Amino acid sequence: MPELVSATVPATTAASRGLSACHVCCKLAPAEVHHCPRCGSAMHLRKNDSIQRTLALLVTACLLYIPANLFPIMITDQLGSSEGSTIMGGVILLIHHDALPVALVIFVFSVMVPSGKLMSMFYLVWTVKRHSPVSPRQRTIMYRVTEFVGKWSMVDVFVVAILVALVHLGGLLAIRPGFAALSFAGVVVVTMIAAESFDPRLIWDAMEKNGRKK
Amino acid sequence: MTGDIACHGCDLLVNVASLKDGESASCPRCGSFLTRARSDAFSRVLAYAFAGVILLILANSFSFLSFAASGLESVITLRQTPRAIWDYDMPAVAIMVAAFIIVIPAVILGMLLMLCIPLQQGRYRPWLVTTAKWIFLAQNWAMVEVFIIGVIVSLVKIAAMATIVLGISFWAYAGFTICFTLALANLDRYQCWERIEALESA
Ligand SMILES: [Zn+2]
Ligand SMILES: [Zn+2]
Repeated sequence: MPELVSATVPATTAASRGLSACHVCCKLAPAEVHHCPRCGSAMHLRKNDSIQRTLALLVTACLLYIPANLFPIMITDQLGSSEGSTIMGGVILLIHHDALPVALVIFVFSVMVPSGKLMSMFYLVWTVKRHSPVSPRQRTIMYRVTEFVGKWSMVDVFVVAILVALVHLGGLLAIRPGFAALSFAGVVVVTMIAAESFDPRLIWDAMEKNGRKK
Repeated sequence: MTGDIACHGCDLLVNVASLKDGESASCPRCGSFLTRARSDAFSRVLAYAFAGVILLILANSFSFLSFAASGLESVITLRQTPRAIWDYDMPAVAIMVAAFIIVIPAVILGMLLMLCIPLQQGRYRPWLVTTAKWIFLAQNWAMVEVFIIGVIVSLVKIAAMATIVLGISFWAYAGFTICFTLALANLDRYQCWERIEALESA
């Protein structure tokens, strides 16, 4: 690591110097500029209506999350009888078949990641709204992790896509996608957009305002 | 102002002008990664991107997986994966799957070549800004590594039911996943845009 001189000076942010940073190309420009001089993207001091937009998307994701868990994600047609399996049902079935590692993979990616992601995003929005003093560094890391794991919940949707394409043997055996595949894919995409709309710099802005009040 | 980056995690201004070749900088306040200076970065991206293009073409040319039980067999190619869901009246899911595993990665790969060949040769091209912009906007929506995990999980799920054979396309796609991930990992946002700007003003 090289010496970072500006690190020793207390919190010189781009905003405190009247600069906004382009989220696409990192270019710094005066806050009055609306389009990035380097790449032409729209520029804002902070992401536009970040909190409201993130909240609206999170609520949408929660609504989609209900059918995603209640309806079957795939339906197996075997010798004339058909059987649907939900996300949790699939995990339990795998445990019964002694496929514990795969059960764990599905459980982590399809149950823990999406629900954990929703909860941590709600928590982040809530702390920003309340100007909470809870360790901003930890909350920034929490945001980074949430942002990073987002797309990994698509695993289950890909599993359905592969099985539907692969498993069809005449009238003997076939797998069809269930309604939950659609709503679960929706949950993943909407939460990914929610994470992108959230602006982690607001966590630190709230801190600076708190500091000034005291 | 030259050499300053505003941390995208907390907005702290950090000067990275003193970074030497091979060194990287993280934000001293929130710990977010900022940038890595590497003189051979564009050659690395190009090497991985070229290998990725060849592997992606291979992945689309052979059978991906085959599944056999009770004397019946079903073989799929990579492109048939989204098509089957489409046939079951879920076009939205089919489009998402096709976009995340084939279309977006392929487009990003093509744009990486268009961007990094001129950058590596130090020549200005009028499309540099647009391609770079689209690469950075789209990169989060390529899910090749997630798809490979999905394939492995599916195989374990049906391994008891039938005989499964991994086709050439599967291995090509697995290799493509590695090359694609490494190509994007070597493309540093800040350094890339600094280079584009330097070429533009020259
Ligand atoms: Zn820009
Ligand atoms: Zn920071």
